[in-house]
Amino acid sequence: MSEAKVKQEGGEAAEIENRVIELCQQFPHGITDQVIQNEMPHIEAKQRAMCINRLLATGQLDLLRSGAGLLYRLKDPQTAGKMKGSDNQEKLVYQIIEDADNKGIWSRDIRYKSNLPLTEINKILKNLESKKLIKAVKSVAASKKKVYMLYNLQPDRSVTGGAWYSDQDFESEFVEVLNQQCFKFLQTKAEAARDSKQNPMIQRNSSFASSHEVWKYICELGISKVELSMEDIETILNTLIYDGKVEMTIIAAKEGTVGSVDGQMKLYRGVNPITQPAGLVRTPCGLCPVFDDCHEGGEISPSNCIYMTDWLDF
Amino acid sequence: MSAVESKLCSLLLQEHYGEIVDRVGTFLIRTGNQPLRVIANETGTSLDQVKKALCVLIQHNLVTYQLNKRGFVEYKAHVDRFLRILRYPRYIYTAKTLYGDTGELIVEELLLNGKMTLSAAVKKVADRLTETMEDSKSMEYSEVSATFTHLADTHFVQRCPTVQEKDATEGRPPLAPTLQMNEKEMYIVPKLNMTGRGKRRRSSDDDDGGSQAKRPKKEAEDSQDDGVYWQVNTERFHQHFRDQAIISAVSNKMDQTSSEIVRTMLRMSEVTTSSSAAYTQPLSSNEIFRSLPTGYNISKQVLDQYLTLLADDPLEYVGRSGDSGGGMFVINLHKAVASLATATLESLVQERFGSRCARIFRLLLRKRHLEQKQVEDFAMVPAKEAKEMLYKMLSQNLVSLQEIPKTPDHAPSRTFYLYTVNTLPCARMLLQRCYKTVANLIERRQYDTKENKRLLEKSQRIEAIIASMQATGAEEGQLQEIEEMITAPERQQLESLKRNVNKLDASEIQVDETIFILESYINSTKTKAG
Repeated sequence: MSEAKVKQEGGEAAEIENRVIELCQQFPHGITDQVIQNEMPHIEAKQRAMCINRLLATGQLDLLRSGAGLLYRLKDPQTAGKMKGSDNQEKLVYQIIEDADNKGIWSRDIRYKSNLPLTEINKILKNLESKKLIKAVKSVAASKKKVYMLYNLQPDRSVTGGAWYSDQDFESEFVEVLNQQCFKFLQTKAEAARDSKQNPMIQRNSSFASSHEVWKYICELGISKVELSMEDIETILNTLIYDGKVEMTIIAAKEGTVGSVDGQMKLYRGVNPITQPAGLVRTPCGLCPVFDDCHEGGEISPSNCIYMTDWLDF
Repeated sequence: MSAVESKLCSLLLQEHYGEIVDRVGTFLIRTGNQPLRVIANETGTSLDQVKKALCVLIQHNLVTYQLNKRGFVEYKAHVDRFLRILRYPRYIYTAKTLYGDTGELIVEELLLNGKMTLSAAVKKVADRLTETMEDSKSMEYSEVSATFTHLADTHFVQRCPTVQEKDATEGRPPLAPTLQMNEKEMYIVPKLNMTGRGKRRRSSDDDDGGSQAKRPKKEAEDSQDDGVYWQVNTERFHQHFRDQAIISAVSNKMDQTSSEIVRTMLRMSEVTTSSSAAYTQPLSSNEIFRSLPTGYNISKQVLDQYLTLLADDPLEYVGRSGDSGGGMFVINLHKAVASLATATLESLVQERFGSRCARIFRLLLRKRHLEQKQVEDFAMVPAKEAKEMLYKMLSQNLVSLQEIPKTPDHAPSRTFYLYTVNTLPCARMLLQRCYKTVANLIERRQYDTKENKRLLEKSQRIEAIIASMQATGAEEGQLQEIEEMITAPERQQLESLKRNVNKLDASEIQVDETIFILESYINSTKTKAG
C-alpha cells in the first residue's frame, strides 16, 4: 500500500517535472513560481518545491534572480552537456562569463561576483579554456587586461577597437593612409568641379561627395584587408573635418536612396584653408621650445640664438 | 601692460626717436601718468631735455597731457600707439597701392612728422617727387593736394584736434590747453589755391645762400591754412587691413569672384559702418549688383547664386538679413575676425606640434568639451600619443582642463576631466608671444649691425669718397682702386648682413600682421561685452 503510494508519488513527480519543463519551453525567457502555481493549482507547494529542486540538481533548470522574484529557465541542453563533469564552482564561473556576453569580463570582476578565491578562479578559468568553453581576449582599452567570454562569441567593438585595431594595437598608419586617400578623392572631385566652369551653384553641388561614394571608392581601391563599413569611412571623414580640410553638410534624401541613413545623406567636400601660416610661425621664435627662457643678456638670448642663426643662413 | 610690451615699446622708441625719448617714454609706460618734474627727477634727465622729449612724443600722438584733479598737468603714454610704430611700413605701403607714389609720400611725411599742415605736406611731397623725376619735369602742387583730398575723403587722413578758443574774460590762462575735435570738419580739406611746382634741391645749389634766406619769408606767405594740422587716421587703415584680410580669406576658401563680391560689399559700407561695428550695413543684392566693378561682367542671376553660396557657407562671413530688394546681405565682421584669429591659433599649433595636434585642437574647438577617451576616438589617434599631445598643449596653456566631480570629495576616480580650448586667453597669450618675438627680432638686428659696425662704417666712408671723386670727375682707374679697398670677404660679409637685416625686417612686418589679427579679435570681443 505504502509502496504503491510512493510509486504514485514518484509518477506524479515525474509528471510535474515534465509539465514544468514544457512550461519553460513555452517561455524561453523563464517563468516565475507564480506561473507554475497557476498552471498546476492542485499541487501542493511542498511537492512543487521538491520537484523544482530535483530539476535544479540534475542541471535541467536554471535559477535566476530578477526584479520580480525568482525565475526558472530551461538550461541549454548543449551547455548542460558541455558542463558535464564540472563541479558547481565551475558552473558558477561559466555562468558569470556567459552573462558578460561579448563585452567580456575581467578575472577580478569574476572574483567579486563569485566570491571565490583568485587562485581557485584561475584554476577554473584555465580548465574552462582548455575545454574550449571560454576564451581570453585582450582588451584595447588596457593592454594588460584580459577579459573572458564564451568561446563562440565575436568580441565587441569596444574590446577589439573595431577595424582600426589589429592585436590590440591601433593601426595609425592604416588610418593615416585612409585619411589621405579620402582627402585625395574629395580634392580631385572639388578640382574637377572648379574646372568645369559652370555656374557657381552647380560647381559647388558637384564638388560634394556622399559618404557612400567615398566608401565605394575606398573599397574599390582595395587598400584595406578588412571589411570597412560606411560608419568606419565616416569616422575617417570626420578626422578630415578636424584637419580643416573637409566640410560636411547633411541633406534630406529620399528613403531608399543609396547612401542615405534615416532619410539623411551626409555630403563631404574638400575645402581650402582660409589663411596662410601666420606671420609669427614663420619666424624661429614662433616655434622656439626655449622661448620663455630667452632674455637678452641671458644664457639664451636673441643675439646668440642658434635657431635664429640657422634661419638667417637658410 | 606686460613686461614684454614695455620692452618692445622701449626698443621701438630707441630706434625711432633716440635715447632720451626712450628714457622718458619708458618711464611713463612703467609708472603711468606723471607730471613733468617727476619725470625729470626720476629719469635723471635735465628739465629741458625732458620737455623736448615730451614735445616729440606729443607731436607723434604717443603721449597726451591732461589736467590732474589736484591741479597739475600730467603726461600719459598710450602703449597701443607706441606699438603702432611697427605698422608704419604697412600704412605707407597701403597708401602706395591705393593712391600711388604721391599717396605713399604724403602718408610717409605725415608719419615722419606726426602732424603737418596741408600746405607744408604738399610742398614737401612735391619737392621730393620732383627730385626723382627727370630734369625737365616737376610735380604740380595741385596734383599733390588733389591726392591729399582723396586721402581725406576716404578718411585715411584726418584733422588733428584744435585748441579751443578761450574767452578773453578769464584772467589766468588755463594750465593746459584743451583740445577739441570738430566732428563735422574732421575730413574737410580747406580750400587752398596752391600754385607752383616742386623745387629741385640740386638745381639751387649755386645760389644756396640766397634761397635759404628766402625760405622763412615764403613760408609766412603760404600759411593760409595755419592751425589746421593733419594726421594719419590709423583706425581707418586698420579697417582697411581687416577688410583685406577678410577678402583674402574668402578668396582662399572660395574663389576670386566671391572675394570680389565681398570686396564690393565692404567698399560700399566702408564709410557708413564704424570700425568697431559687428555687422556692416545691410545691402540689397540690387545695390551690390550696381556697385560691382565694371570689369566684372557677371549677370544678376549669377551674382544672386554667389550671394546664396556665401550666405550658406559654413564660414558664415556673409549673412542674409532680409528679403527686401532681392535679398539683404550683411557681412559679419566680428565673426570674420574671430575666425581669422582662430585660424592663426590653429596655424601655430600646426607648426609647433604637428598636424595631429592641430587635429585635436580643431576637434576641441568644434566640440568644446571632451574627455580624453573621446578625443582619442574622434581624432583617431592612438591613446598614448593623444595623451602626450594633450598634456603638451596643456603645459603650453593652449588647452585647458575642466574638472567636474561626481561626488563632493573630488576623488579622481569619480571625476570627469574635460579638455577645452579657450580662444580668448589663447589669443592674448599668443599676442604676448608676438610682442616678444618682435622684440627679439629687433634685438637680433641691432646685435648684427653692432657686430659689423666697423665694416659698415668703412663701406660708408668709401662710398662717400667715391661719390665725391665722381663729382670732381676722377678717372675710372682711381675709382676702381678705392673700390677695391673693401676686400672680397668683407664684401661678402656686407652682403650677408644686408640680407639678414632685410629678412629680420620683413619678419617684423609679418609678425605684425599676426599681431593685428589678434588685436582686432581681442578688441572685437571687448566691444561685444561693453
